[in-house]
Amino acid sequence: MEQKFTGFKCKSCGRVMYPKHDRCLDCKGTEFEEVELGEDATLLTYTKLYALPEGIEMPPLVLGIVKFPGGVRAMGQLTTDDPKIGMKLRPVWGKLRKMKDREIFGFKFEPLK
Amino acid sequence: MRDVAIIGCGMTKFGRLEGKDLMDLLAEASLRAIDDAGAGERDFDSVYVGNMMAGELVHQTAIASALVDRINLIPAGAERVENGPASGASAVKNGFLAVASGASDLVLVAGGEKMTAVDTDVIGDLVSTMTHPTAEYVHGVTLPAMAAMLTRLYMERYGVTERHLAMVAVKNHANALKNPYAHLHRECTIEGAMNSIMIADPLRLYYACPISDGAAAVVLCPLEKAKEFTDKPVRIAGFGHASDVQTLQEREDPAVLKSVQLASQQAFKMAKLEPNDIGVVETHDAFEILEIVQSEDAGFFEKGKGHLAVEKGVTALDGELPINPSGGLKAKGHPVGATGVAQIVELVWQLRGEAGERQVKDPKRGFACNFGGFGNNTVIHILERGW
Repeated sequence: MEQKFTGFKCKSCGRVMYPKHDRCLDCKGTEFEEVELGEDATLLTYTKLYALPEGIEMPPLVLGIVKFPGGVRAMGQLTTDDPKIGMKLRPVWGKLRKMKDREIFGFKFEPLK
Repeated sequence: MRDVAIIGCGMTKFGRLEGKDLMDLLAEASLRAIDDAGAGERDFDSVYVGNMMAGELVHQTAIASALVDRINLIPAGAERVENGPASGASAVKNGFLAVASGASDLVLVAGGEKMTAVDTDVIGDLVSTMTHPTAEYVHGVTLPAMAAMLTRLYMERYGVTERHLAMVAVKNHANALKNPYAHLHRECTIEGAMNSIMIADPLRLYYACPISDGAAAVVLCPLEKAKEFTDKPVRIAGFGHASDVQTLQEREDPAVLKSVQLASQQAFKMAKLEPNDIGVVETHDAFEILEIVQSEDAGFFEKGKGHLAVEKGVTALDGELPINPSGGLKAKGHPVGATGVAQIVELVWQLRGEAGERQVKDPKRGFACNFGGFGNNTVIHILERGW
């Protein structure tokens, strides 16, 4: 099954959030439904990290903040070494890092061709 | 609420302090503050100890109990206060509230951290655990990475350049050279900073604070009783404390430190003052971009213009609004639990005119910004002369 990057939509007011909160950031509602955030996010800012955390093999680790079409933002690893602000990226499932010898998987962001 | 005065203060030197453990540092700073207050014979009601991670760093817990035992403040009620890197200011705030409420008449607030007890990569990881566990931490997000992303936003939006970051570092190193308590006693040049190693593009090593050990302490009492101890009590005119969402990306605007804005507004309102009433400022420049952003979001400069103030020398020791005369976190050092208390200590010395070579010209009021997390939990204090 293909994994989709999802946010959490408040059933009371409709605000979509990522990550999940137990109460809505706008109306304090407590019920949410998972919604897909889309396939074309825009890069807002990034860094190339040379002082690496545990379980990342090769510097630099490229991290960025992307904005999905509905306005929700997410931070994550970028699969490109040549990021440009404003470029379009899509979430792809993959290995993020090792932590205490355990492999951690999650979404990264890959440039749209 | 009663008016609250700071009647004594003290700190240890900051740095890699081999041979001194966390309790040695807390005891040393506390006894200096108690001596400075002339309160050696007095019984204290409460003790607050700002500390972020003694359990993780030095494998010791319940350090407030250990401190009252060590320096005999028994039977004062004692507790540790943890609010990430704002633990120190949170401890001061708690001490203030204890006195202001009438619950306590004599309070010791200490803050300390023994950061060099573990390897640098362990520190880096522990500090990273402040980030959101699933939306940031597991992705490899570190505090330098967040600061770098904020810096790039500022560069894109406001025209901040790497040279501006270097200018802040140069200023703070120069101030630290005049501070015997500072960790880094070496001159920093623009070229030196701009040639230091890249840690998180566009941040180089010199745009970030070092890893330091240290402790600081203050003694508080009601202003009406302060004359029993000192001719120069420093009044805590106001405080503010506000939080924001944890992740950088979910902030209303990731380039705005809203918790700094809100906490500053609260503090100014409580003190019935405005930014232009302030004569000296200590900011939380764990990364040099933060000094610029905080100086704007606290209300001292228009948004997006903080770097121009640096450029014009406004924030220099002899400028119109000196920022970080102590050397800041950048050069004085950042033993996380100590930082918020040490900022207050610096302001007390500045207001009393006891800051030696780094004395700002006749400041009447001081402002301190200490933040926990990456700008999502900010504690502000405004101090003024109480004499």
